[in-house]
Amino acid sequence: MNTFKQNFCMSSKSWLLIVVTILGLAFSNWSWAESAQFERSEDNYKIPDVNVVRQDGYKSAFVKELDDGRPVLLNFVFVSCSAICPMLSHVFSKVQEKLTKEGQKFHLMTISIDPENDTPASLTEYAKKFAAGENWSFYTGTREASLTLQKAFKAYRGDKMNHASLILMRSIPGKSWVRLEGFVSPDEVVREFNALGANK
Amino acid sequence: MFMQSPIQQMLGCQILGLLKSRFFFSLLFIFSITVVQADSLSASPEEIELGRRIYLEGVLASGEPLKAVRQNTVQLEGASAACEACHRRSGMGSLEGNIPVPPISGRFLYAPIEDRVLALVDTRQAKDLTRAHVPYDEKSLAKAIRDGMHVSGREMSILMPHYALTDKEIKAVSAYLSQLSVSLSPGVGDDSVHFSTIITPDVDPKKSAVMIDMLRHAFEQRNSSQQTYSGRMRMPLDLIPRKLRNWDLSVWELKGAPDTWGVQLAEFNKKDPVFAVVSGISASTWNPIDQFCQQEKLPCLLPNVISPPENPSYYSLYFSRGVVLEAEVLAGYLTDKEKKAPHRVVQIYRDNEVGMNASRAFTKALAGSEVIVENHVLLGTKQDDLKVAMKGVSSKDSVMLWLNSSDLAVFNKFMAKQVPQNVFVSGYLTSENYSFNSKALNPHLRVVYPYELGDKRKKNVTAMKEWLKSWRLPLVDEPFQTEVFFDALFLTDLTSQMLDNLYRDYLIERAEDMLSLGSNVSAYPHLSLSRGQRFASKGAYIARIGDDGKLVADSAYIVP
Ligand code: HEC
Repeated sequence: MNTFKQNFCMSSKSWLLIVVTILGLAFSNWSWAESAQFERSEDNYKIPDVNVVRQDGYKSAFVKELDDGRPVLLNFVFVSCSAICPMLSHVFSKVQEKLTKEGQKFHLMTISIDPENDTPASLTEYAKKFAAGENWSFYTGTREASLTLQKAFKAYRGDKMNHASLILMRSIPGKSWVRLEGFVSPDEVVREFNALGANK
Repeated sequence: MFMQSPIQQMLGCQILGLLKSRFFFSLLFIFSITVVQADSLSASPEEIELGRRIYLEGVLASGEPLKAVRQNTVQLEGASAACEACHRRSGMGSLEGNIPVPPISGRFLYAPIEDRVLALVDTRQAKDLTRAHVPYDEKSLAKAIRDGMHVSGREMSILMPHYALTDKEIKAVSAYLSQLSVSLSPGVGDDSVHFSTIITPDVDPKKSAVMIDMLRHAFEQRNSSQQTYSGRMRMPLDLIPRKLRNWDLSVWELKGAPDTWGVQLAEFNKKDPVFAVVSGISASTWNPIDQFCQQEKLPCLLPNVISPPENPSYYSLYFSRGVVLEAEVLAGYLTDKEKKAPHRVVQIYRDNEVGMNASRAFTKALAGSEVIVENHVLLGTKQDDLKVAMKGVSSKDSVMLWLNSSDLAVFNKFMAKQVPQNVFVSGYLTSENYSFNSKALNPHLRVVYPYELGDKRKKNVTAMKEWLKSWRLPLVDEPFQTEVFFDALFLTDLTSQMLDNLYRDYLIERAEDMLSLGSNVSAYPHLSLSRGQRFASKGAYIARIGDDGKLVADSAYIVP
């Protein structure tokens, strides 16, 4: 997981990893960079009772949005974040494209961690930039609601500037969540999503 | 390409081993100096301009948008591919999440290791400083830009996109980076940093005196304890060596009409250039000052103003949108679906910039709703003038009074017999002075209040109160004074995190990123900025005055 930390002088363990990776490359189209930059885990979260506002101004309870029958993929961004968030949103945009092509049922949910700035209007504009369709919703609300959600999904890092590069997904209510932390490629996300077996 | 990378990493490892020999070091040193000099000598203004457009705007020489790829799939284009999006305007980099974007201005890219400057990568972890690397040259820069390959041979984080730039374009970017953030900004001397604060002629001299007194004491305190670098030694940050620089403060007191302020400011700044303007105060307009700050590329940090420009320039930061924010909050409150909206609201305001801006914003915010807004201008200061302004207002109406406390005192006398159903006043304009209130008015009175209330407020302002006590300074206007106190504290925090990289653009970038990370010692509920955001506090309460004379929230915190 420490792939960003500078660690260029390699131990024998890393050599083993390289050999394995090269072997892996021979048998799949995974790229080396892709396979090493995120961490996968599973977890269960208690979904808090908070209200959110969708980018079209629609107000609703978060659980209602979450449990609407579609399998969910969820991330946290804010509009004025220019380095990481565009990347996360690009990934969601590609995932949307791929899952739509495959004719899958899914719901991408993007929650703002700067809700006082990210009004429904600015989220609408943001959604347009990433060609978000009907299966991709953006949520804002009160600061407390956003904080509560970040904490519930263990995504809270104290401030928006510390925010985590994170994707969460779940097939149906009651099932555990798959948590991908770090840099995940759209293909990886789709692979993980299919492994949930939600649309089988 | 990815398949090669482990091997390249290994090569990098060997190079690193080589580097440990002094001989190689000195060879490299001589070599790099030649490179840097060659670079800056050969760069033409056209080349730098081409580099600037790629770096800042994401536009290529051909006028085509700059393009980049990431993970071989995701395309970036134009402004979102521009280097500035991550490395920022100053070239000093940034940090989002746990991924540092390193500084890439010439001093960081090309300097030999012995001469390298330090920057703090993660202000939350003072030990996280920029790392030493072999100086880049045009070839290794090209590899970084095209293939995401670090000069050490390491493959960089995939956050750094890959760009298919031509040799000419790489050269141009290199030329731009070589001259970016090289010399310290105006106002920064070898052993001093000059700041100023600005006072417009409409301000009560007693109020501006309070501000100046607070700022001077804060500067004095900071200077007398700066031996520990930041003025304190609570954090590892304070132990990073840097130059000791004494701070001094000029007070730029403006005279005459607003359209002459620009010239006066230019004269002040020519005589005694400053690194930044800290705080400042106006009871009327701030537009000429905002424009001046933009023109001089001078950071103007968080003045005490209630009617800031609607679209501030890059270099000016504000606490809030002032009365315009209040207008929108009130409109939101009145049109809340859970309550019955009033049929009509009469707003009374003075014919000055504050009154005009507030009333215009209120009308605009209620346009399209069912509430009818009627505008009445208050001229003069006598009871009869009020009578004119209040014409047609009955006890069934709602009124919004964009008036200060002395105007409101006259109003209340006049209104004693038939108080309108709802009387709203501005928290900014009344500035904590509710002496106009009366038994008859109180049940109808609501304050649009941009500050925190109750225990949380008490807790947040304790630091300032104690500080005032320790310097025997008076407490006369709590929210106002917390703004000044916040400014002083924020400035010391910001500059100590900047180490010796005292560039104006970097100051703005740090301020955008760090504002919400410091402790909130202001009277506002919370303060936060980000790239491009210029107003730190974004909402307000509707409050009433309780039996004990203190304000109580009558609504949730409303963010329009
Ligand atoms: C989306 C964000 C992003 C953009 C846009 C971006 N970079 Fe980077 N850049 C990074 C990150 C993150 C790193 C650090 C990667 C690492 O060290 O693993 C980096 C590193 C670098 C480095 C290496 C610095 C060092 O200390 O070794 C150079 C040089 C560089 N970038 C140049 C550029 C140029 C030139 C552009 C524009 C043409 C650009 N970058 C655009 C994110 C970005």
